[in-house]
Amino acid sequence: MKRLASTLALVALAAVLAACSGTSAAPTPAPSADPDALRISSKDLTFSTDRLVALAGKAFQIVYDNQESAPHNVAIYADQGYSQKVLVEEPFSGPKVVTYSVPALDAGTYFFRCDLHTDMKGTIEVT
Amino acid sequence: MANRPASRSFTGVDAIIRVGIVALVLGTASIHSTLGGLLFTLNAAGYVVAAIAMIAPIALASRFRWVIRAGLIGYALTTIVGWAIQGPYYTTAYLAKATEVALIALVAIDFVRFDGNPMSVVRRELAAGLAFLRARRAGAAA
Repeated sequence: MKRLASTLALVALAAVLAACSGTSAAPTPAPSADPDALRISSKDLTFSTDRLVALAGKAFQIVYDNQESAPHNVAIYADQGYSQKVLVEEPFSGPKVVTYSVPALDAGTYFFRCDLHTDMKGTIEVT
Repeated sequence: MANRPASRSFTGVDAIIRVGIVALVLGTASIHSTLGGLLFTLNAAGYVVAAIAMIAPIALASRFRWVIRAGLIGYALTTIVGWAIQGPYYTTAYLAKATEVALIALVAIDFVRFDGNPMSVVRRELAAGLAFLRARRAGAAA
């Protein structure tokens, strides 16, 4: 019976490993975004920039291109302790492009990061 | 909970539970392996090692399966607590944590079915260790 359990367990192991080895989804075309939208991408667990600039008092968009299979998001916070959420949406796996709509912000420095890989971070200067 | 003998016959229910444990371990390992980054990859690798240890037909692994069970429960609990502290709280994370909670429950059932009361297991192992030491001392004195 132990041998049967081991065999069944190995079958389960093979099934899970086979499921994990599936190919990633095809790149999603970029959704229509404001031509003035801020743009950022990520690859190899690194954002393309650690500084974004936006105008105060005006809603804006961020076009985020996640170029790798690891899930990421661009979560925006009002404080460096990442406790005051401004815009936080779920991480998603790439390759995929997502457009975030950010509400109008007061002038100041805001902080963005990937909530899953917190070393991926930067600032948004709103002037 | 009664203390059970360590060696008892392996039933069909035991096989189903063991397969369920391995499936849940590999399920959460696969989720973590897709997240990228060293921490998640190491976490997934730890789960895969635990899955192998749970079914390895090796005498040493069989003898100390209770340690593997306790370690797996502790590992899953640590993963859940780490996530509860740091997040992020999103769909995939909730799925992984639900898998880990089910895993802990199943391993706990497996523990009780094979090893009985955890405190009795600790007492039994301490007694075995002491007997071993006494035997060595007696052998050295002879």
